[in-house]
Amino acid sequence: MSSTQSSSTDQDALLQAAIDRSLRYPVMFFLTSGAAWLALALLLGVIASAKVHNPEFLGNWACLTYGRVFPAHINALVYGWGMQAAFAVILWLMARHSGRKCPDAVMILTAGHVWNLGVALGSAGILAGNGTGMPWMEFPSYIWPVLLGSYCVIVMGSFNQFRIHPQGRVAIPQWYIFAALIWFPWIFSTANLLLHCLPGHPVMAAGINAWYKSALVFLVFTPVALGAAYDLAAQVTGRPVSSDALAKLGFWSLAVIAPWAGMQKLAGAPVPYFLPYVGAAAAALLFIPICAAAINTVRMMWPCRKTFIAHPTLQFITAGITSLMVIAVTSVVLYLPDSTLPLTQFSWSGYGFDILALYGFFSLVMFGATYFIVPRVAGRAWLSNKLVQVHFLFSVYGMITICWVALFGGFQQGMSQENWQLPWIGVSAVTNPYAVAITFAWCLMLFSNVFFCLHLILMWRSPDRLRAHHAPGEPAPAIPDHTAEHIY
Amino acid sequence: MSLRTFILGLSASFGVAWLAIIVIPFFMMRDIAPIALSLSKDGAAGVFFPKRTGRIADGASVYAANGCYLCHSQVIRPTYAGHDLYRPDWGGLKNDAERGDTRRETNAYDFGGETFAQLGVMRIGPDLSNLGRRVEALHAAGKDPAAWLYAHLFNPRDNPQLWQSTCPPHRFLFDRREIKGRPSADALRIDAGADHEWVPTADAKALVSYLLSLKKDHKPPAALDFSPHKPKEAP
Repeated sequence: MSSTQSSSTDQDALLQAAIDRSLRYPVMFFLTSGAAWLALALLLGVIASAKVHNPEFLGNWACLTYGRVFPAHINALVYGWGMQAAFAVILWLMARHSGRKCPDAVMILTAGHVWNLGVALGSAGILAGNGTGMPWMEFPSYIWPVLLGSYCVIVMGSFNQFRIHPQGRVAIPQWYIFAALIWFPWIFSTANLLLHCLPGHPVMAAGINAWYKSALVFLVFTPVALGAAYDLAAQVTGRPVSSDALAKLGFWSLAVIAPWAGMQKLAGAPVPYFLPYVGAAAAALLFIPICAAAINTVRMMWPCRKTFIAHPTLQFITAGITSLMVIAVTSVVLYLPDSTLPLTQFSWSGYGFDILALYGFFSLVMFGATYFIVPRVAGRAWLSNKLVQVHFLFSVYGMITICWVALFGGFQQGMSQENWQLPWIGVSAVTNPYAVAITFAWCLMLFSNVFFCLHLILMWRSPDRLRAHHAPGEPAPAIPDHTAEHIY
Repeated sequence: MSLRTFILGLSASFGVAWLAIIVIPFFMMRDIAPIALSLSKDGAAGVFFPKRTGRIADGASVYAANGCYLCHSQVIRPTYAGHDLYRPDWGGLKNDAERGDTRRETNAYDFGGETFAQLGVMRIGPDLSNLGRRVEALHAAGKDPAAWLYAHLFNPRDNPQLWQSTCPPHRFLFDRREIKGRPSADALRIDAGADHEWVPTADAKALVSYLLSLKKDHKPPAALDFSPHKPKEAP
């Protein structure tokens, strides 16, 4: 009995290793190019932020004016890093859960190159002065079909794996990932078609744009990160999901509530009155799905809290989930019509909220996933534990600075804006110290992410230390979990 | 749960919101009906149509491409949503020479000629809903408003009143060229070196024309007039 069990475990391990090997190039490609975009996005973020308090900094360069650098920074962060990290996690997670190898690595890699080309052309277009002026959709209008087409090719295999090979019970990470797979093209094509192809009312166009930003965060990045968090917490700790009912509540309440959020940004603008109020109510109600998912994942990891130091994956995911809880609280506090919304609507708080979601939650969970996935697909251990720790500390401290400063500085800025007896030039001056702090924090994060990118590039390098000793022609041995140094 | 039920659940939960807050409002606002003026309440006939003149489509694309919307908003919120209307020169002019207090909130008819309303991301700079009105009546009273805006775009801190401004310089919107014959009428009054002058590019001209068209304080029709000074209707 026990020998049958052990042989089936061995077979499982061999299958997992074979799946990981089949994913080596696509996953490594998306993570490495994503990390390069992240470093570039943060460099642009440093430049943009420095310009807020020092407007003459690089002031003679048309392509580096604040109004072009800032959109390039956010779009590179969202499409260059965010979406590509999501692709890597989606491909790996769906293949592992369906027990099938990567369907067509060449096609995925080709589409991945097209995606990168699209992001590069789009960012260059913004810097060259061809941006559209729609927040988070500033890429010139010919870019979005390229991105949508390559997206479909990249995830088609994962979509089919879920559709054709559901093995037994569908696991929670699969729900989240599959939902994001369906929602992204829906959200992306709706926003782009309505804003670029169908001329509508200009104020409604701004409303759709605000909804798009919120939907991208809560219906694409959040589900991908939550799927990864559930899956990795289970794999690292070896514990099952603590409550299925809570997981279902978290998933379905996100699906029902999140699509209504976003238009609170238009409070007071001439759109139908119910839209901003529905948006504000939905943003506050997001507390429910976020809390459900956060409690569930933390309860899985809590018994292993003493080994956190040895597991960057757990460290990053815990930090990401903590940010998610902060998002839950801030989305209740920031968007109260008649009280806080007028203060935060046009202040740094909105930026703080975006960075909290994109970096504090999504990116930190993706870093955790990277530290788990890469040794398995690349077949070698991380080169330096110190680099990983530095990445963690700088990311977390940088992110805390940005979010603290932007959220609370934003409140103070909002209060000055609402104080109509204060001359406007005085209101603008209020933001300067906060802008300096944000620049400093972006520098910290840039520093750590340049090393993250270099670390990932070095992981491409063979020789495969762990597989070097098997004879050619033989199947490579599975990589045992938690045994080798620096494989987390 | 079967795959079909799962996909149906995902589509339904998303689709209901998608229809209710995106698709239906989009198509309803696309065909927004003009508001008829009435002789008794508005003192005029026809429909409410805030006129704008200038290179609006061109200028709006320069405004968008250079990210002005990141620091400047273009929406005056009603008093329940913010204190924008209390500022003396944002919603209109507090003491217009001919019309008195012209301040009012932004309405859906104010964005004629634009495809995307630049409501704004943040307010590091002031709201620009009535920038054209403000420049003409206050900043450049009795002078050329376009010249004031050109100088402001070239270097916002050249103006002693705005020495604290953090608005970026937009020198790339101007060409430095040799003076051949008479100096250009548009040339900036800024030292460009011997026999040289700074002249606005086509983009700068479009942008300034657009900025001067920002006058969203036309008298609204009675149906949209929420001003406390509105003449009371006869019982």
